[in-house]
Amino acid sequence: METYLFYFLIYPGFLFAAVIGAFLSWFDRKITARVQFRKGPPLLQPFYDFFKLLLVKETILPARGAKGVFLAAPVFAVFGATMAGVFILLPLMNITTGFHGDLIVIFYLLTIPSLTYVIGALSSGNPLAAVGASREMKLIMSYELTFLLVMAGIIIKSGQSIDLYQIIQIQREGSPFIGSFSGVLLFIVAIFCLQAKLALVPFDMPEAETEICDGIFIEYSGTPYAMIRLSKYMLFFILPAFIIAILMNGIKLEGIHILWAILKLLAVVLLLTLIRNTNPRVKIKQAIRFFFTWMNLLAIIAIVLAIFGL
Amino acid sequence: MTQAINIIVLPVLIGLLLFLIPAGFRFIKGIIAIGVTLITGFLAIRLFGSEDIVFSLGDWVAASGMQTPGLNAYADADKYSSFSLDGLSKLITLFISLLSLLIAVYSIMYKTAGAMRNYHAWFLITLGFSFGAVLSNNLLLFLICWGILGLTLYRLIRGNDETSSAAAKKTLIIIGASDGIMILGIAIIWRITGTLNMDEITLPTSDLVRTVAFLALLAGSFTKAGAFPFHTWVPDYAEKAPATSSAYLPASLDKLLGIYFLARITTGLFAVGEWLRFMMLTIGVITIITAVMMALVQHNYKRLLGFHAVSQVGYMILGFGLGSLIGVAAGLFHMINNAIYKGGLFLTAGAVEQQTGKEELNELGGLSRAMPLTFFAALIFALSISGIPPFNGFASKWMIYQGIIDFGQGIGIANKLWIIWLGLAVLGSALTLASFIKFIGGIFLGRQRKELSAVREASPVMWIPMLILAMGCIGFGVFATNQIIPRLFMPVTGVFEYTGIWDSSTVSLLVLVSIALGILIYLMGNLKNFRTLDSFVGGEKMQEETSFSTLEFYKSFQEFKWLAFMYRKAKDKWFDLYDLTRQFLTWLGRLFSRAHSGILHDYTLWVLAGLVILLLLLIT
Repeated sequence: METYLFYFLIYPGFLFAAVIGAFLSWFDRKITARVQFRKGPPLLQPFYDFFKLLLVKETILPARGAKGVFLAAPVFAVFGATMAGVFILLPLMNITTGFHGDLIVIFYLLTIPSLTYVIGALSSGNPLAAVGASREMKLIMSYELTFLLVMAGIIIKSGQSIDLYQIIQIQREGSPFIGSFSGVLLFIVAIFCLQAKLALVPFDMPEAETEICDGIFIEYSGTPYAMIRLSKYMLFFILPAFIIAILMNGIKLEGIHILWAILKLLAVVLLLTLIRNTNPRVKIKQAIRFFFTWMNLLAIIAIVLAIFGL
Repeated sequence: MTQAINIIVLPVLIGLLLFLIPAGFRFIKGIIAIGVTLITGFLAIRLFGSEDIVFSLGDWVAASGMQTPGLNAYADADKYSSFSLDGLSKLITLFISLLSLLIAVYSIMYKTAGAMRNYHAWFLITLGFSFGAVLSNNLLLFLICWGILGLTLYRLIRGNDETSSAAAKKTLIIIGASDGIMILGIAIIWRITGTLNMDEITLPTSDLVRTVAFLALLAGSFTKAGAFPFHTWVPDYAEKAPATSSAYLPASLDKLLGIYFLARITTGLFAVGEWLRFMMLTIGVITIITAVMMALVQHNYKRLLGFHAVSQVGYMILGFGLGSLIGVAAGLFHMINNAIYKGGLFLTAGAVEQQTGKEELNELGGLSRAMPLTFFAALIFALSISGIPPFNGFASKWMIYQGIIDFGQGIGIANKLWIIWLGLAVLGSALTLASFIKFIGGIFLGRQRKELSAVREASPVMWIPMLILAMGCIGFGVFATNQIIPRLFMPVTGVFEYTGIWDSSTVSLLVLVSIALGILIYLMGNLKNFRTLDSFVGGEKMQEETSFSTLEFYKSFQEFKWLAFMYRKAKDKWFDLYDLTRQFLTWLGRLFSRAHSGILHDYTLWVLAGLVILLLLLIT
């Protein structure tokens, strides 16, 4: 039980994922700043932000909303991110002891943060938050099938295995899945799913700052908002890590491979950052159409290629 | 044996006696109903522990030592009165009695049900014949119980205005028609095998006749459970019937019975061929997607739940369509889970309806503070039905998904298409989540309304059953992989290995750890220093009527051309088999009525033509 708690709370779970995620979010902000010819924040800025929200900032609760749900939602967002993180990172870090979860479990756990954001937003009773919640929910509906098709492609490529550990092993013995036509297509689709899951531009309509004032998070402030930021940091690490696990043969934590691991992670995050910096926000209907038509089509092409072993 | 007879006869007898008690003694009737469900619950638990046996009424009479003169005269009837106690029937019996107990308790304080004449009598008769249907081994006996259940379903809805009596009539006609189709199937079976005892029948579905028999029985099971295309009575019934009736029959008992029969015909009576599997899987995913798409756009919350009562059946059919051990176990597990959370959801809907008197989502909002316990239960049910880990709905869906992935290793056509089954099942689950966000958000969350400020929590008699069901959702999810499946379902289906990996208990423990962690962070944080303020709407002044109703949530889906087209056609009842048949019959009637022109010449012509036809027939 102690090892389980250690895995869950310290490494590779809660604390580790949060810290790495915070650094990655700094990386994202720095790159964004450089793209926009700004200087960018110092390395520890995400931590400053988090602790300022946690310790200093005043918390404002919605007078005519459901306060209990409003406060509980971020807790479960952190839970979802941590649990999915543990299931993704344990196989990725090559830790065989402890608990496991298959792809389906990870898939479902990864929806929990978005779901809790929606419930939290609705509980605030704010109409702008409700607009954001409606968009977030529609976004979930659009990318969920696409993300599942990516998983299905991976399952086919790994010979009907849904165990993440085994999937990494199969790639180590053969070649990484991204090294094939179908793998490349799956990678492209997965990157767009990530973009939507992380609510980054062009799919940031649930929290569109300029339009609905941060939408689903409009009523959040102080400590609960700190937790939401925390869950966002964690997702910013575990989702790219998931891509690395399912498509880019995972990472090894020994000698020179550590450098490779960091480079892989930064490369995926860099890709996400560049997409978000070079695109405008799309409308929700465009996003639905994008995923339902184009991304699904691409994923299905990838699956057909994968069936023929390409 | 005696217990099995008692559990059937007792509720029916007491139910008939309840007709004699005047309507004024409603409360007493309710108490008697609870008493009977308690006794049947006790008997069901005793039965669950007893050993498997097949017996006839004659065996029971012989065993009980009764010497009735003249009994020999009925010796031939004995073979039609065969009962069977096996893993499956005992499991279903147990859950029927548990759910009926909770619903009986809830019904005491539920006014809409109380206002109905003989509600409790029909309730108990339903209970008895449900046990009868599950425990009978003979198809004829089964059919009798099954048919009476269709009638009690009709009696449990109040036909006091035009729309609700139309819904009741629709229900009766669809269920009755499906019973008729089932008689055809049973007749074919009798013709082929010469027996009607289920334990003696195993038929391949190799030729046309046997396939027709299978399809006829399948239609009966699909209608009862409410699967596409025979599902259209469920949403209408759910909208118009009292919430307890919906919770009792379409949500739980009819699912248990329909899927029980599906299990019997797919795993016992017939060896299902590849193409029929393909058909079942297709119907499964169509049921999931179409029903949930309809649920997305509903604004009456009971009707919304009715569509979900349909869509969940799709998952069970998928499980049975797979046919593997894990698929069948997943189908059964999902059936039990569905009965728990769907029954619970109708009960919460009933509580909301009773406390507010409103049936439309856009008249409600912000009830979570006024009705915290109902809200908690509803939230648990909603998360369970949407398949959020670690609740029970996730556990059974997880099994269905890995069943599908496992199925994909086979060589048949249906196996090769596993991605379609999986993709649509998962999409259905995401859409379910979306429509329950609408349900929860529309009723309990959102801005508290001034006109609803007088609403109070429902009485404990109503929320205790809901919370027990919610605990059931949690318990069945938390202990799914290591306790519930091996103890309850593996004895029925046989032992199998999971291909996926999910340790529900550990994860549930970690949920508790996370909650503790969250509380710790809140304690660490600056939460004491808080203010409450009205919503911030970007600097504008917040007005009383400022809102974004949950009804608007999924409007943009209706703006897509082909979806808009489908929704329009669905509204025009293009996909309603009942309505299509009705239109066809009216058309036919109009055709024949043309012959009645009222002109004597025409009538003589008809008579003459008839005579000629008769003559021709007699000559040949």
